[in-house]
Amino acid sequence: MNLIIEILISTFIIGAIYALGAAGLTIIFGVSGILNLAHGAIVVVASLVAWYCALQLNMGIYLGGLVGIAAAILTTYVLYFTVVIPLSRSRQLASEELPVFLFVSTLLFALILQGLLEWFFGATPVSTPAMIDGVVHIAGVTVPLNSLLIGVVAWAVIGALWLFISHTRMGKAMLAASMSPKGLAIVGYDIGRIHFLVWGLYGLLAGIAGVLLASFIGASSNVAINLTATSFTIVVLGGLGNVLGSLAAAYILGFLGTVTAFLISPSLREVPGLLLLIVVLYARPQGLFGRH
Amino acid sequence: MNRTWFDWRTGVVVLAFAATACLPWFVSGYWLGVLTISSYVAVYAMAWDLLFGYGGEVNFGPTFLIGLGAYGAGMSNTFLGWPVWVSIPVGTLAAVIGGLALVGPALRLKGPYFGLVTLVAVLLLSQVINMFAGYTGGEIGLALRDILTISSTGNFYYAFGLMTITALVLRILVRSPLGLILEASGQDTTATEALGFSVTKFKILAFVISAFFSGLAGAMTVFYFGTASPGTVVAVAVTIQIIIATIIGGRRSIIGSILGAVFLIVAGEFLRPVGQLSSTLVAVLALLVLVFAPNGFISVFGARRERKA
Amino acid sequence: MRSFSGMSRSLATAVVVAGGVLCSALVMPTARAAEPISIGVIAPESHVLGKSIFNAAELAADEINKAGGINGRMLELHKYNNNFSAADSSRAFQRAVQQDGVVAMMGIFTSEVALAMMPWASRLQTPLLVTGAASSEIPAGVKANPERYKYVFHSYVNSAILAQESCIVANATLTQSDKFKGFNRAVIFSEDAAWTKPVDESYLKCLPKVGIKVVDHIRFSPDTTDFTPIYSRIKKADANVIMAAVAHVGVKPVIQWKQQEVPALFTGINGQAGSSKFWAATNGATEGVITGTPGLNGAPLTDKTPAFFKAYTKRFDIGEPAYDAYTTYDAMYALKDALVRSDGGGDADKLVKALEKTDFTGVLGRVAFHGTGDDYAHEVIFNQDPTKGQSFVAFQWQDGKQVIIWPEKLAKGKIRLPAFVSQSQK
Repeated sequence: MNLIIEILISTFIIGAIYALGAAGLTIIFGVSGILNLAHGAIVVVASLVAWYCALQLNMGIYLGGLVGIAAAILTTYVLYFTVVIPLSRSRQLASEELPVFLFVSTLLFALILQGLLEWFFGATPVSTPAMIDGVVHIAGVTVPLNSLLIGVVAWAVIGALWLFISHTRMGKAMLAASMSPKGLAIVGYDIGRIHFLVWGLYGLLAGIAGVLLASFIGASSNVAINLTATSFTIVVLGGLGNVLGSLAAAYILGFLGTVTAFLISPSLREVPGLLLLIVVLYARPQGLFGRH
Repeated sequence: MNRTWFDWRTGVVVLAFAATACLPWFVSGYWLGVLTISSYVAVYAMAWDLLFGYGGEVNFGPTFLIGLGAYGAGMSNTFLGWPVWVSIPVGTLAAVIGGLALVGPALRLKGPYFGLVTLVAVLLLSQVINMFAGYTGGEIGLALRDILTISSTGNFYYAFGLMTITALVLRILVRSPLGLILEASGQDTTATEALGFSVTKFKILAFVISAFFSGLAGAMTVFYFGTASPGTVVAVAVTIQIIIATIIGGRRSIIGSILGAVFLIVAGEFLRPVGQLSSTLVAVLALLVLVFAPNGFISVFGARRERKA
Repeated sequence: MRSFSGMSRSLATAVVVAGGVLCSALVMPTARAAEPISIGVIAPESHVLGKSIFNAAELAADEINKAGGINGRMLELHKYNNNFSAADSSRAFQRAVQQDGVVAMMGIFTSEVALAMMPWASRLQTPLLVTGAASSEIPAGVKANPERYKYVFHSYVNSAILAQESCIVANATLTQSDKFKGFNRAVIFSEDAAWTKPVDESYLKCLPKVGIKVVDHIRFSPDTTDFTPIYSRIKKADANVIMAAVAHVGVKPVIQWKQQEVPALFTGINGQAGSSKFWAATNGATEGVITGTPGLNGAPLTDKTPAFFKAYTKRFDIGEPAYDAYTTYDAMYALKDALVRSDGGGDADKLVKALEKTDFTGVLGRVAFHGTGDDYAHEVIFNQDPTKGQSFVAFQWQDGKQVIIWPEKLAKGKIRLPAFVSQSQK
């Protein structure tokens, strides 16, 4: 019984962390069709800037966290204006080749960010301070308050995102942009403006993820690629561009990893997730919850 | 139609290859070492471009094939005690078998999903290398018993020779009916199938050829280095290097892949005195090329063949 | 072809440089005797442990030059940043030897790079002193093939010795003490990597000998994000000591240990906790963590240690020297002695022979290498007594400082239990 509660609590937290990490990636793919491989690097920008401001400049975690989020949004717009826009408008590329080029250039952008982060902050891992200290005991299981907070915030962010997309005019326009950009343009929306806002929203989500995650798993420039890979896996499992699908996938992946670590061996925790991914890709390539 | 163009360019390329072959008389062992690595990366890039540029498939798992070749050869040398010239075919065979096992099911998937499966294959391979660290050396790597040769000139000729042969074979292939069908299918699968060609069959063949050259080069690379380790033959960083080399050199072009690989490695060495930011600068250069001249260096030479619709 | 313009430029540069050298040789025929001796240092510049390698080498080289160099010839340091990459390192090694003319190479703190550079040391016939990596594969390789790997020296102890020392420290500070003798139920806690295999073996052998029962043995994936399942197992096994073998992961397990209030002392080998920056990196979660390292705070292992510590902290603003600063500094002096005795190191085999005869007092204790016939071939001799070999201290993080708790004569404090560990003991 105790074990079940432990697994459930652990899954709740790790699933929330995964979901938060992947939320931005799934939105940006859903609306603009771009698989952003600089995702992990942008998340780490937020972590490291927040860490630096909070501790080296003594601004405290709340102000430092805000600066970190702002840095992530700024970096996102640099990517948008120096890479995404020029490539999308390039006349030298056939339209069917554009996704691959965007893919590779975001990867290069990630490499550049990683190099710059190492130059500014070094490659040594750091962690942001916990928002709250202390533990609670739930049915005999010790749970850090900070982890619970991360779980709650992740749910709040994803909930807000869902409300935004399904209940506001702008959000609906974004959703429409993902389905039929031409149709949206015909009814008078400025697609450019929608994309601009979506990238901003993306930067915000990546920033929040970076600040929160770094208090739990730490951050360093060289974990960027792993973060990208994990988020990528979640987004694919859940169905590209499907926010609620990503949430579910994050929990499935978190649950598999946690159960493996509890019941089989902590050294194998990554394996079932990879196997599941292969099975899903073969059996249902649009993802578990993907629209076809 | 542009027969004359074709001829002078071929002439330049042949001359360039001949001149490069004479380099051991002029440059230091260090530059030969740089060109040796460039040649191996060029082979990886050419093999990758056969799928990407010609076949239209993005394979994110070149290091799955390279890694199988490298570790297959390395383990056969270290644990079975087989000599270099037996171990290299063993590694190559491992890559071809691994490639076959991967490609059949993977090709049922389209676009980004194909790329993903190949990426997952790499992640699984690195998990396996870590899990069986007793045999693979895990993250530290595997020290091999033997190496190709200790002479930098010898190593240069092995690598340069492999690169030249690969370039020749692939050139013949892409101009053969196989290459044309592959290229057509990469651009319009439905139309090609409507003409009665089994696209999947050709793509499987292309993948196997790619696996063969990747595995062979991977096996030879570890016998050049003297060790096989995840960072040199499996890591995502190696994949990134291959993709960048192919695209900045010019995709759908054999010479483009070679140019890109040489540029990437040589630029890195020239910028080494810059210090910590040198690799970041290389990435910036590559991004500039990608965004503003997406057809790569080769487009500067006007060598891109026009699309045959 | 691009490469050609590059090539011809480098050729041109080479010609100009060669011409310049020739001219200066003609103008000053006596200058030849004072020609500098080039030494290469290689490490990842972006990492704290890489920077400390560069710093220590620079400091030692300047001191040596100030004191008159090698028989009047100055040392010239060439630095190579390897970005943690093994392929990059082998290229840098070739450049160092064939372009920059270095007579020996030192540095490196990742085992993958060390192993990848070993074959190149023999191919380039250039001595290689590994000062930061702890893999037991390094001396094992030299022992298995001394003819090929005789150029490789290991100026830091291997991980099996570090494990053994951790047992000795646990014995001295826990099971032998009145206050903490209840800390005798340990879990081996290792990241699943090749380097931890000999460590685990060593732990399994030495812990029972010092009266500590191994109640569980956990190997976990280095990609682990959530340590809850592992810490829950540790609580269930009712262990009160965590014998760690972690290096690639460092921050994650420590902050979660603190946040989850795991009632067990965190000790053993902890690569990152040895850095003076670890407190800031973990926001103080490392309070109470115990680990060991060759040198620390300039604790006077020998009469040279405090002077080194002072000079280092005065000159560089990156904090206290990390363990590999101490080992690199000693390696540089070992090399200096060998260069003097081998007439400038022009003949690599003579230089190797001279290095084999190394015997002097450095900042970590006596510096001397095992012979190629010994188990730890060409590795620096280890001994708890600094007059006999490289030695080792254990410390605990207390209030943001690394406080030495062992050996007794250097100790500045006693073990202090974190609140959540002491509560569970009542």
